[in-house]
Amino acid sequence: MNPSRPTEIRAAGLTRRYAEGSRQHTVLDAVDLDVARGECVAIRGRSGSGKSTLLNLLAGIDAPDAGSVDLSGTRLTDLDERRRTLFRRRHIGFVYQAFNLIPTLSVADNVRLVLELNGEPQQTSHPRIGRLLEAVGLHDRADSFPDVLSGGEQQRVAIARALAHEPTVVLADEPTGNLDDAAAERVIELLDRLVRQQGGTMLIATHSARVAAFCDRTLTFHAGKVLPG
Amino acid sequence: MLTAAKASLAYLWRQPWQLAMAITGVCIGVAVIIAVDLANASARLAFVESLETVTGEASHQIVGGPGGIDETLYARLRTGHGLDDAAPVVEAEAQLGERRFNLLGVDLFAEGALRDYRFIGNTDAASSDSLFRRFLLEPGSVVLSAQTAAALSMSAGDTFEIAVGGRVERATLAATFDDDGRLAAFVMTDIATAQEWLRTPGRLSRIDLKLDGAEADALSAVLPSDVRLLNAAGRTRATLEMSNAFMINLHAMSLLALLVGLFLIYNSASFTVLQRRRLFGILRAIGVTRRELFALIMSEALLLGVAAGALGILLGVWLGEQLLFFVTRSINDLYFRVAVTDVAVSDLTLFKGLAAGILASLAAAAVPAFEAAHSPPRLSLLRSTLERRAGSLIPAAAVAGLGILVLASVTLRLSETSLLAGLIAIFLLILGAALSIPWLVMKTTARLAPLADRVGGVAARLAVAGIGNSLSRTGVAIIALAVAVSASVGVSIMVDSFRSSVNDWLEQTLRADVYLGLPDGGLDPGLVEAVASLDGVQAYSTSRRSLLVTGDRQTRLIALDMAPGSYAGTEILDADAAAVWPQWESRDAVLISEPYAWQSGLSAGDSLLLPTDRGERAFDVLGVYQSYDLNGSGVMISRSIYDRHWQDRRIDSMGLYLADEDSTAALIERVEALGKTFEQTLFANSNVAVRDLSLSIFDRTFVITNILYWLAIGVAVVGILGSMLALELERSRELGLLRALGLTPGQLAQSIGVQTGTIGLLSGLASIPLGAAMAWVLIEVINRRAFGWKIAVDLEPLYLGAGVLLAVGAAIAGGLYPAWRAATIQPAEAMREE
Repeated sequence: MNPSRPTEIRAAGLTRRYAEGSRQHTVLDAVDLDVARGECVAIRGRSGSGKSTLLNLLAGIDAPDAGSVDLSGTRLTDLDERRRTLFRRRHIGFVYQAFNLIPTLSVADNVRLVLELNGEPQQTSHPRIGRLLEAVGLHDRADSFPDVLSGGEQQRVAIARALAHEPTVVLADEPTGNLDDAAAERVIELLDRLVRQQGGTMLIATHSARVAAFCDRTLTFHAGKVLPG
Repeated sequence: MLTAAKASLAYLWRQPWQLAMAITGVCIGVAVIIAVDLANASARLAFVESLETVTGEASHQIVGGPGGIDETLYARLRTGHGLDDAAPVVEAEAQLGERRFNLLGVDLFAEGALRDYRFIGNTDAASSDSLFRRFLLEPGSVVLSAQTAAALSMSAGDTFEIAVGGRVERATLAATFDDDGRLAAFVMTDIATAQEWLRTPGRLSRIDLKLDGAEADALSAVLPSDVRLLNAAGRTRATLEMSNAFMINLHAMSLLALLVGLFLIYNSASFTVLQRRRLFGILRAIGVTRRELFALIMSEALLLGVAAGALGILLGVWLGEQLLFFVTRSINDLYFRVAVTDVAVSDLTLFKGLAAGILASLAAAAVPAFEAAHSPPRLSLLRSTLERRAGSLIPAAAVAGLGILVLASVTLRLSETSLLAGLIAIFLLILGAALSIPWLVMKTTARLAPLADRVGGVAARLAVAGIGNSLSRTGVAIIALAVAVSASVGVSIMVDSFRSSVNDWLEQTLRADVYLGLPDGGLDPGLVEAVASLDGVQAYSTSRRSLLVTGDRQTRLIALDMAPGSYAGTEILDADAAAVWPQWESRDAVLISEPYAWQSGLSAGDSLLLPTDRGERAFDVLGVYQSYDLNGSGVMISRSIYDRHWQDRRIDSMGLYLADEDSTAALIERVEALGKTFEQTLFANSNVAVRDLSLSIFDRTFVITNILYWLAIGVAVVGILGSMLALELERSRELGLLRALGLTPGQLAQSIGVQTGTIGLLSGLASIPLGAAMAWVLIEVINRRAFGWKIAVDLEPLYLGAGVLLAVGAAIAGGLYPAWRAATIQPAEAMREE
């Protein structure tokens, strides 16, 4: 972590367990993490090592069994479910491996959705959507529906959606996992460029060394713990 | 939130058939409620309006016993008491062709003080005078409603035949009422003509008066003991109350249809929510709060409720017009004569229907909406997690279901007479059973799956096991189908048991070989004597039915002169018959019918006050007799005791006991021929024909129930088509995968057939105990509390079997389209679909 920059994300003693019948399976085991503002951190590790669980906890989508999460100075783990949701809608952008676009909405409407949730008026949201789609190279597909786009195109829409409300933190869970090498290269380059342009902080869970190479540093997870770097 | 709503609604639009079926389910439920309400309200309104028109400004009525009032009383009131606002009335039944009317004999000179009839083409005084003259100078002149005259293709000056008291008289249409159809059930004539036609010279049915409170009190004090002064509005109310139970029962049936609809709406709502779990997960992950998501789903339900409610109103008004005919016919058969020309669509009725549709939709969507809003927003939530959660809740739900069934039973026990409590118990019964069904399905499918494997291979096993493994979806569908089918089974058993009890009762009661009769005590005394003397008539009984009106109720009094040996036809329920009959023949005592006992709370040993010609008298209640007499509950009195207390020697009907039963047809011919010599057209029938006629009236009464029953089945079939469609379409991805793995299109279609067929079978089997229990509550509680009838429950296996077949048929029909779709689907396309 760059000590000259303030801490944007701080996780302390983060623990998450799941019940498997009568047994408890610890997916994340007392993880400590600090990420500076504007930093890009890659999280690597095998499947089941706890990468996705960490991102879900940092986003407030899931709640830890122990430990705390601070994002942009807010103790996320102290917030109730509703406040966590409102915080997430304003400050976090999420990019998924499976894109998770809403198939019944056009490309532009998928992006508009988060702006609308944040109370962005139509007058300002419209040009912003145009700029974002321009930036991801899909300005001519604004009225298309996700099911006619290629995987790379869908992920670029997902990136536009994740960045539309200019979040302070972007969390990407295997953003290139469903893409071929060429598409993956374009998507990660785009994501990196746009997040850095906005001055955002980004955590990317990935198996890919090429993706990790775009980041400032890499943390490796194993059995729910961060391996010493 | 607009874009989120757009995304959510677009999902629904992608399944137009499912959406259409959800709307249709609510729509039919609303339509049934509106239709029953409209038909009932229109019939009541028509009756009240017609009564208001013929009551006019009269505040009170003087009524007498079954023999009516001596008309000299009217003259004394006008001259001796100076009561100018008084009008005499003779009322009876008349028949024009096949239609029955109220014959109203009036004195036009006196009418002006109380009523303002408007006559078409005769609105000026001179023309009214001409009508007076015609009434006075041309006996047989009558006035009909303009609408009735048009319906009978008559115009002023036409002469026609009218049957009054069994005699055919000549009548001339002098004028028509300008009445908007309010008097469509009436034939008005001069009072003298009416008395002549009825052979009751000097007798009046009633005297209408306009009095204030003090005048009424003063008049009451001086009236002779054989007449009573009644409040006119109270009498209208008492007449209407006779039909209350009938109308409440129709409302109960319409509520049952809505309840069935409610489960199906819940089913549809659950599916539309469950299918969009992923969408809702995405929305939650990007920041839509629980409250917003809940509001979003409920807003959709509101929209669906409003759209379906609006369509339901249109359908309901049309259906109400059709039902009105049947409701009016039953009311005419059973209670009072009414002619309804228009459906009275009130804002309140429309509001009730729309509110029922909206509330049903919101109530049905609330649980799945709550569940969706409170699911964690993690997209990684697996379907298996959902099913595991559903599976863990099922035993608890079954226990809760059992608890609710116990509560239903306690409700029935603690509420002795409340009809509302009976309806609540039905709702609890359905709810309790609904909560227990998934547990039974889970256990049954676990045992059926290996069997299916042996019979139909892996595709069949997957199909059967899939039912138990997808209880979050299949459970609701099975509950909805089981509730719908059990409602139809329950109603079928109820109607069949009732019919069977009525049939047994008729067989026991109709002991004479031949019956003949005329309304309003119209049998000529000479004819009665002549018939009794006919060769071959071994014995005879007579009866006279009259309505005793007191302040707040009407009591149907049945005076019987029983033939020796005919006593056994009346079953006495709570006393020793051998001890009762001698007392009944000799003392001031009566027997009361079972419904009358239920309504009045009287039983053997009590006494009953009845208005006689010498004032009110107490009669001992000797016992309660069984009766399914549909047109009102009754009090049975011996003819000799009746003659002692009421100055009325008329006879309505005779029962003839023949020496030789084979001579029945010949005797009927002789009786009818004898009738002609007395200028009376008799209704003479064998006991078999009377029984058939009674049963046909019974069947006519239950036509409405049958219509509602078929509508409930319609709701069920539409709902279940939607469920099966949704269930199987949701499996598209899984089916695509199975195709990719090597299952043939035929095997896939077979798998769907096995699954839907098994769902139907399980629903049908679940509907057997629930249907039987519902029948028991409808018979022992609802009918008993509404009408006072005690009916023997006849659990006909045919209806239970038909219920199972109905369930299997509906479920398989719902699987046809998905089976065809699965057989033609491209595996890659199916797996690509969300």
